[in-house]
Amino acid sequence: MLQSFRHSMTWVHTWFGLALGFVLMVCFFFGSLSVYDREIDRWAIPASRFEPQPMPSFDRMLEPAFRRIQLTKEAREEAQTRNEEPLPDTLPLHEWGAYTTHRDPVLSMWSGFELTRPKDPDNDHVYGVMTLDPRTGQELSEDKLKIGSQFFYPMHYELHIHWLGLGYWIVGLAALIMLVALVSGVVMHRKVFREFFTFRPKKQTQRSALDLHNLTGVVALPFHFMFALSGLIVFAGIYFPVGETMMKPLAKAHQKLEASRTGLPEEAAGIPAPLASVDAMVAEAQRRWAARGMAGEVGFLGIHHVGDANATVSVYRAGTDRVTLTGEGIHFKGPTGEVIREDDPKTAAAGINDFVTGLHLQHFRHWLLRVLYFVGGISGCVCIATGFIFFVGKRKRQHAATGSQGARIVDALAVTTVTGMLIATATMLVGNRLLPEDLPLRGVWEERIFWSAWGLAMAHAFWRTAAVAQARIAPAWREQCWAVAGLAGLAAVLNWVTTGDHLFKTIADGYWPVAGVDLVLLASAALAIVAARKLRLREQAGAPAAKEDAPAPLETAHA
Amino acid sequence: MSTHSLSTLHVVSRVAASLLGGYVFVWGFVTLGIALLMSAGMPYDEATTTLYLLAFILFLVMFCWAFAAASLVRVWAVLGGGGLLMTGLAWLLIPRLL
Amino acid sequence: MPDALLLAAALLCGIAGMGWLALAMDVHWRQLRSGTPARKIIVTLRVLGSTALAASLALCLTVDHVSMASLVWVMTLAASALIIAFTLSTRPVWLAPLLVWLPART
Repeated sequence: MLQSFRHSMTWVHTWFGLALGFVLMVCFFFGSLSVYDREIDRWAIPASRFEPQPMPSFDRMLEPAFRRIQLTKEAREEAQTRNEEPLPDTLPLHEWGAYTTHRDPVLSMWSGFELTRPKDPDNDHVYGVMTLDPRTGQELSEDKLKIGSQFFYPMHYELHIHWLGLGYWIVGLAALIMLVALVSGVVMHRKVFREFFTFRPKKQTQRSALDLHNLTGVVALPFHFMFALSGLIVFAGIYFPVGETMMKPLAKAHQKLEASRTGLPEEAAGIPAPLASVDAMVAEAQRRWAARGMAGEVGFLGIHHVGDANATVSVYRAGTDRVTLTGEGIHFKGPTGEVIREDDPKTAAAGINDFVTGLHLQHFRHWLLRVLYFVGGISGCVCIATGFIFFVGKRKRQHAATGSQGARIVDALAVTTVTGMLIATATMLVGNRLLPEDLPLRGVWEERIFWSAWGLAMAHAFWRTAAVAQARIAPAWREQCWAVAGLAGLAAVLNWVTTGDHLFKTIADGYWPVAGVDLVLLASAALAIVAARKLRLREQAGAPAAKEDAPAPLETAHA
Repeated sequence: MSTHSLSTLHVVSRVAASLLGGYVFVWGFVTLGIALLMSAGMPYDEATTTLYLLAFILFLVMFCWAFAAASLVRVWAVLGGGGLLMTGLAWLLIPRLL
Repeated sequence: MPDALLLAAALLCGIAGMGWLALAMDVHWRQLRSGTPARKIIVTLRVLGSTALAASLALCLTVDHVSMASLVWVMTLAASALIIAFTLSTRPVWLAPLLVWLPART
């Protein structure tokens, strides 16, 4: 497009990076938090602060629990819109599922029901959910939001924008642009190897921001590339839905063929039949895994066509010491308990796909790799944040001279997505500790707190970045750093006050899920204070002559 | 880096070509690729997985090329035209695979 | 917890390796010593660095399955490079032990 390949790539890097950088910031930050989603859940739901539990007995505990699962009012109303006739009080059962991991003390269960006269025959199910304490068989209130796995985790792949599935598409576009930014960044960067270890914090802000941008981008490049790519591959079926559109006949034919080949019936027989002992099937599955030299715990238990003669029970392994997904599913006839089949050995393509997916979803057990993933994700945040700072710093003097508001708007949006996002996150955790325990729809209130705090931070960012239009450092950065420090510290203190689980206790007990969240909160607060003080110095130094360039709240991105 | 020589229309068209044209091209590649692999005897799910693994790398390359190429007409012709052509061929192949 | 120790050793090897590779570059060499390093020293530093990184991989492989180990190693290298870059920018003297076998001339 421009005079040279390098110029064209620079243009692409700058403008696409700017446009999608704000989304990428959200993806990288909440993606990093998702590495520890289960731990954040423990912090947010004190009643679930106990050791991870294995899959409990189906016959004694799970079956009665499954039968208690009801549709929520919202789910029933939503399902009604998809049904031709008024839904009866009790819907026919279709499937049950129970899922746990080596980091989950509580069990996620769901029950799928069939619509009686669906408008769309391919969209004829509705689900009820339950969270179970496997020690007692009692359910936990669904009003308590699992902030890590139900809020931060979906945020990083769909932004909680549900309309037309738009959130997925925005994130998908951002991930593609991340790949583009990495390639174009390497093309632009003249000294990838010569400046591999270079970071000069004492130089002019522009220079040190660019150093940090290059450092965090280049050093963790394989991580950034693989995560953006594998994220896209995980949702490839959403981005290129060939099986639901153009190739639907082929997909359907394949499904039919698979059902007859594997002996796993697609449809219910319509003849009621009781289930044999599922515990015996689980024991048989574990015996078969052990015989293959891959003993393991059960991660996922699924029952199809519940109560029907065609019922099947599928038992899958939990994550292990392998990167790749290792379900190794074994399938049983529900009414008799005889083995129908074991999953086929993976084809080459499926093997690669499961590795790439497993690498991203990280069901495996490896504490060090989890830490390194977190660090990698945060380095991505630093890379994006410093990109904004460089962009603003490079243009603000020229914009100040011409009266353009461009640099100011970008700076305000950068404040919103860097420190503002941290404020929203920390405020949500504070709210989680302050809201009454038995407040109805407690989780909804927590989400409202999150979005309101982010909105306020954005308003503040636009108000307090006026200085950028005069080519100075916006006070918004410093002020929001103080807010982050206060809120993050407060969240850790409130955890102590409301639950008694202070750091000395959790560390002494070796209870790392809660200790870790508290430690990260306190470290974030400390970094935010350091950043705020440095910003004050730079603001003072740059105040009269506008000598210094953009702010350097680089550390805050670590929070 | 100067874009003053480029009209707004050119930039908009270039961006549209990179995203929409790129998407159509990859769609065509994926559907035709699945159809061809299935013609060669590969089952549907394996063919789909294989193409999904390649799709985004191809998108990345075509996206960058959309900005690197000198002629905007050629970009639209290859991405949009090529994508439609591949999709059409895949369309013709599908009934033979059932 | 021998696994934790082996992984810690892998990380240390990664840091040392990245440190030696960095010190083989003029600009970082001058953060600890004066002048430019002799050709022979550069080669030695690079060999040391590469060996340490290879040792890091070997240590990762003793702990985990090969697919997991390679992932841990790649991530360890990234973390090591970050640690070295930040050390060079704030406390370069902390890397002096890496050059202990080369007495400073002045």
